[in-house]
Amino acid sequence: MGNTELAHTEVKNVVRKRRKKLNSDGKWGLVMVAPYLVHFVVFVLGSLLASLYFSFSEYDILNPPKWTGLENYTKLFNEEIFWKALGNTLYFAVLFVPLQTIFALILATALNQKLRGLKLFRLAHFLPVISSWTVILYVSDAFFNTRFGLANDFLNRMGLEPQTWLQDPHLVIPLLVLIAVWKGIGYIMVIFLAGLQNVPSDVYEAAEIDGAGTFRKFMNITVPLISGTTFLVVVLSTISTFQAFEQIYVMTGGAQDATAAGGPNNSSLVLMIYLYREGFSFLRMGYASAIAWVLFVLLFILTIVQVTLQKKWVHYE
Amino acid sequence: MKHLAFKRGALILAVLMLSSILLSACSGSTKKEEGEVSPGDKKQEQVELRLGYYSSAQTDAKMQELVKKFQDSHPNIKVKTESAPYGQFFQKLDTQIAAGNAPDVWLSDGVLVPKYAERGALKDLTDLIGKDLKHDDYYGLDFNKDVNGKYWGVPQGIQIGVLYYNKDLFDAAKVAYPTTDWTWDDLKAAAEKLTLDTNGKYATDAAFDGKKVKQYGLTFFSITEGWMPVLKSFGGGVLDPTLQKSIINSPENKKALDWIVDGMNRHLLPTPADLKSFQSNMAPFPSKAAAMRIGIYARTMDANNAGLNYDVTLLPKGPDGKRFSPVIANSWVINKKAENQIGDAAWEWVKFWATTDEAQKEWASLGEAVPVKKSVANSDQFLNGKPANKKAFLDSFDFAGTLDVNAVWSEWVGKFNDSINRAFQGEIPVDQALSTADKDVQQVLDEFYKKK
Repeated sequence: MGNTELAHTEVKNVVRKRRKKLNSDGKWGLVMVAPYLVHFVVFVLGSLLASLYFSFSEYDILNPPKWTGLENYTKLFNEEIFWKALGNTLYFAVLFVPLQTIFALILATALNQKLRGLKLFRLAHFLPVISSWTVILYVSDAFFNTRFGLANDFLNRMGLEPQTWLQDPHLVIPLLVLIAVWKGIGYIMVIFLAGLQNVPSDVYEAAEIDGAGTFRKFMNITVPLISGTTFLVVVLSTISTFQAFEQIYVMTGGAQDATAAGGPNNSSLVLMIYLYREGFSFLRMGYASAIAWVLFVLLFILTIVQVTLQKKWVHYE
Repeated sequence: MKHLAFKRGALILAVLMLSSILLSACSGSTKKEEGEVSPGDKKQEQVELRLGYYSSAQTDAKMQELVKKFQDSHPNIKVKTESAPYGQFFQKLDTQIAAGNAPDVWLSDGVLVPKYAERGALKDLTDLIGKDLKHDDYYGLDFNKDVNGKYWGVPQGIQIGVLYYNKDLFDAAKVAYPTTDWTWDDLKAAAEKLTLDTNGKYATDAAFDGKKVKQYGLTFFSITEGWMPVLKSFGGGVLDPTLQKSIINSPENKKALDWIVDGMNRHLLPTPADLKSFQSNMAPFPSKAAAMRIGIYARTMDANNAGLNYDVTLLPKGPDGKRFSPVIANSWVINKKAENQIGDAAWEWVKFWATTDEAQKEWASLGEAVPVKKSVANSDQFLNGKPANKKAFLDSFDFAGTLDVNAVWSEWVGKFNDSINRAFQGEIPVDQALSTADKDVQQVLDEFYKKK
């Protein structure tokens, strides 16, 4: 591999430039991280830059890429379906992030008490986290299958009209969000639990002496004191929604037909699914790379906004 | 400060990496050429042939058996097989072609042959077929012929569409079995008597509840087992003979789609959303939730495995008596880079497959596909067994055609489905679905063919 050799010389170059500043400990440090650096340069930075190059070219995998300048990007922004996918992605994020954060915090607070069988409860909420999406698909199908599902059975018993659930263009994203929250909440809960355990108990005791009730304590002590954790959770969940793929793929068509993922009328088509479909099903890698870079820029801007806003509400001790 | 220094370092790395990529991109092409020259010149008695195919556990065993027989009769050729389940096989293949190390000969899904041919990955087999294969001895060689009369593959087996019907469900509803005289309207009239709700009421009953269908008259899925045979027997279609122009927006197609949409509105056919409640889009017929199916030959396997009491007949006629049977000819194709001895060995394999009775019979015994060799297909070995009227598959060759397969087939099918499915769900009228599909499909075609 020519690339690896090149990567080696690059690392050496960097080392040489820094030599003056480094003492022997520093050199050893660099040697120790060299394997990681090589890996990073070849497999992370290398692929990143390659995809940036592809995004400016026409590339069908089978033939070498042809430079086409901004064509992929102009096409992208003029494509109705791209805007639909972007809209769906944002819709998913706007529902998912607050819902998961709030419920996970409430759950974590509840499970931070001294309860009988506490570990069992925590375990129960963490179980969906370790299940694969394919397993969750079968569980959710037991609920939302239009012919045999419990949900329609319930509606039927209530004398209501059956619904098409995941096949309904208006219901599909809210439902996916609910299922995603159910699956992901245990993980976020654990992060919150760690945060909660760092809140000193004397603050609560002082508040109790001042006559604060449970709700006051929660709003005026817990919430501000774990705002650093909340910030982390919000940033992580936002990123994960933009990268959401597996769930939407298996639950809205992909498990049956790879090109059909994206739900009824593309109503659950998010950017990642769109990217996959264009790149891997239709061999338009250049175009798919452009989608990836737009996604990256979007996430980058969003994260900067979140970091800027954090000054207003996040308190570090 | 540390942070800044790191950033600067990362930036340097980035710049270096970029230049190294540009360098390697420039040097890459020369390296490849050097590599190509050397192996061809070496005179070797023994040739190693890389053979790629997709398979299931069942088909894999049979394929290995046939590979062994081939090696026995061709002692100078050593076959190295590369197989994987369908999805992975083609994903890997794309990467292998890009890297220049795809198998020398591989089994391609019939609908993917033009994808590889038109992107320059396949060897033109026109001369070889003309020299070694007698055209009239085989079914469906022409399904791999392109617009310019070139052949890009030799069918490994043929999937051809007929009408499947479940005799038990027909008997239960006291409906006469389908005949070869049926039109699509006859089919629909029968479907109405065969569609059953969860309360046991047929669609002909006033109390029938279309929201709780337990058994559909006809299952209906996407292109092969859905709209293509209907469109074409109504005189419509999707692409013109050049396969580069959409003919979607036509009165014939409108009539055909009206026929389908009416069937779905009356719940005699499942909508795309209805189908999702099944484990797979192929499940309704074998699970007895549909009385009829437009099915290709491969579907006999799941019907037989499910122990259905079923038979097959010709697909119905359109309003003007026209018939159409959809065909998928999964084919052996040869890598463009397979030259000299390796190219010869690859062709030997294809020839072995097509001409040897034994190979044809062995493969036919799996029940995967109609044999390409006519003598084998018309022998008792193929015609006996379930379903009783297997001859319907052979008779259907008279009016068979491919699925307007071209280099961007999966993409235009996707676009077509996007629009048409909305009409099937009753969200937009048929006219609108046709005009948007026409526009979208033409855009896909232009994007590929205008640039070439």
